[in-house]
Amino acid sequence: MNVLSFFDPSAADVEAPDLDDVRSVTEDMWMALLGEGEALVTRPVPAGSPFDAAGAWSAAVTVTGGWQGVVTLELDEAIAREVTARMLAIPSVHDVHDGDVADAVGELVNMVGGSIKSLMPGPSTLSLPSVAAGRAAFASDVREVCRVDVAWHDGPVRVCVHVPGA
Amino acid sequence: MIIDDSRAMRSILRRILAGLDFETSEAIHGQDALDQLRSGPVPDLCLVDWNMPVMDGYTFITTVRANPEWRDVTLMMVTTESEQRQIVRALAAGAHEYVIKPFTPDAIVEKLEILGLLTAGSTATYGALT
Repeated sequence: MNVLSFFDPSAADVEAPDLDDVRSVTEDMWMALLGEGEALVTRPVPAGSPFDAAGAWSAAVTVTGGWQGVVTLELDEAIAREVTARMLAIPSVHDVHDGDVADAVGELVNMVGGSIKSLMPGPSTLSLPSVAAGRAAFASDVREVCRVDVAWHDGPVRVCVHVPGA
Repeated sequence: MIIDDSRAMRSILRRILAGLDFETSEAIHGQDALDQLRSGPVPDLCLVDWNMPVMDGYTFITTVRANPEWRDVTLMMVTTESEQRQIVRALAAGAHEYVIKPFTPDAIVEKLEILGLLTAGSTATYGALT
């Protein structure tokens, strides 16, 4: 999933969002959807560590315009299915299909990406989400500038912000 | 009518509105919603996402507002677009209210009360979500 190929190379604004803001946006989204008692917890992960879930879902939205960047979300497979079941009111995670997960995870990254876009210089446009079963692949001419590693029900969740510039 | 390309978001909004005794219909993008308005019945309220394929929510709102037959339809944006500029654009185009995702059920209730579609003191839940 290469989501960065349509960046305008002439726009070189690579300002990064504040890490605490991205963490706050992620936690706020989670609690708004799942309730106050379902908070994410901080997960200490050394810099550069790959997302370590055995199975994962990934999603991305691209922001273009006054600020350019890609916001990605990675979820442990079990977490993705549990959140999907709750969002779609499906009684059992065993009845959650891949299409359901793709829809729900896409909406999650849409909400996180939209919130981060509002923190950055504008006006900007938010893309429709791209979702993949598995880890996302990114172009080599972008760099990660912000990463939030958290956990929910012991499963890892990661939000990253990437900007143009290797 | 709930207009959102995300089935998960339509499900969440449907449960909130059902808990408030609203009857709901759903559309997967603005063009789908317009087709349903043309075939009737015309809903009292549309909850409209902004970023959707085929026809986005802003285009939907401007199209509805250009048709006098639909002047009684209340339009509420429910979207991740939280830039002040976008909010102003939507309201100028004819949206009556604006809710930013993610939202709580109480935020929807509050807006519906402001719009006069609910009496004060109503409560809502996500149903299975909470």
